Amino acid sequence: MTGALAGRTAIVTGAGQGVGQGIAAALARRGASVVLAARRAETGEPAAAAIRDRGGEATCVVTDVTRGDDVARCVTETVDRYGALHVMVHNAFHGGRPCRLEDVDDALWAANSRTAVWGSYYCARAAAPHLAAAGTRGRLLFVTSPAGVEGSVNLPVYGPVKAAQRALAKSLAREWGPRGVTVNCLAPVAETPALTAAFDANPVLRERLEARTALGRVGDAERDVGAVAAFLASDDGGYITGQTLVCDGGSFLGL
Amino acid sequence: MPALDGRVAVVTGADQPLGRGLALAVGAAGASVGLVGATDPLAAVTAELDARGGRATAVDATLTDPTDVSVAFATVADELGGAVRVVVHAAMDPLAYEPIPFEAVDDQRFEAVWEGTMRAALAVLRASFAQMRGRGGHVLVVTPTISMSGAPRLAPYAAALEGQRLLAKSAARQWGADGIRVNCLAPAPEQVPIGVQSLDVSLAPAALGGPGDPERDLGPVAVFLAGDDAHFVTGATVGVDGGVWMAP
Repeated sequence: MTGALAGRTAIVTGAGQGVGQGIAAALARRGASVVLAARRAETGEPAAAAIRDRGGEATCVVTDVTRGDDVARCVTETVDRYGALHVMVHNAFHGGRPCRLEDVDDALWAANSRTAVWGSYYCARAAAPHLAAAGTRGRLLFVTSPAGVEGSVNLPVYGPVKAAQRALAKSLAREWGPRGVTVNCLAPVAETPALTAAFDANPVLRERLEARTALGRVGDAERDVGAVAAFLASDDGGYITGQTLVCDGGSFLGL
Repeated sequence: MPALDGRVAVVTGADQPLGRGLALAVGAAGASVGLVGATDPLAAVTAELDARGGRATAVDATLTDPTDVSVAFATVADELGGAVRVVVHAAMDPLAYEPIPFEAVDDQRFEAVWEGTMRAALAVLRASFAQMRGRGGHVLVVTPTISMSGAPRLAPYAAALEGQRLLAKSAARQWGADGIRVNCLAPAPEQVPIGVQSLDVSLAPAALGGPGDPERDLGPVAVFLAGDDAHFVTGATVGVDGGVWMAP
């Protein structure tokens, strides 16, 4: 297959739906072989099949990013199947309901911390030797959120765990720079099942979000967000590292 | 009248030079100071505060234990005669300060640095909320600029600092209506024992000539933020690094 990512292998976590699915599809469309690391085969398998149906190379590997051994196994299976790993995208996240900070319980904290921060740590650790081997083609990308910079009124631990991913990325960018590997964050807003659920719970949210967004619409996970992830994964994005690329149609302008 | 006259303060991390300096500054501004943490290393700072004519106490607590922290705050309030209205959270597990290549970080270390820091910050914030609800107050979270710059071999520490910094913003957003303000103080990396110099993470040297003295240079900013003149400032990160890190 030709394309900017031909010959590259990528893993995308949380690729069964939403932003992860869009990123996986965008990478595959540009020639990458993509492993969709999804917690549930019910979503991961159809997403991989959809990519194959249009001529891309994709495999679903059921993976729980909150388990280090699971992430390591996913990476091993990927390298066994495709011979290398160039691009690791950690997108999977499970956050939970709005609440007051004084009422945050262990379960809510753990859901946020385990998927966002531990997931990032496990993905970085398992991918590290393969990204080093990929050298200047090595890419680590965390999907974070504008809330990781400005905080959130209703989700008091969402901002902190998304911010922690940004600091991990900056530190790893400095540490792995000598290897040629880049480490970045992408902060998107896109139509996803999670956002739909948030809109359903709070109907004025869509109006407020669109009103605050310069381009006046909520992004598409593949065309608007996946395309930017693909750029960062490509040679053209190779001089960008340690950054958070906000891809939200011009809503959060704080960087 | 001193800016914090008659107020009861809690300072964590006063066993380290940075926390000690901030504690002395808060004391000099008129606050009675409760030092919360492992009491052994705190006795010297308590004695220093006493010697300067202030009121001080040290209360033993494991900061990662929320119940322990709440009880310690209540004990400080009892001993010093008023609800805690000023908090400076400067504590950090010394393990976090050890530079180590990322590939050598194991689950145990990540647990201690990331989860431990966040658990302690949550415990301190919630104990502060219990004390300040209905009365108002100020919580200052100390987050060296490494949180924003990142640093090689210190990824878990940077992540934990940035997590704390955003936790402070969450608290600021939710507790403003209760009269509770929450801000962050961002000192230079030289203020913590991580072996990183400002010039390692910035092209520019400190405009004001150095990382500064915790008590004399950083302390007045901590006092200002806690005082009434800063009543409209919340959710902010104030860089007090002598003019190195100028983003934003």
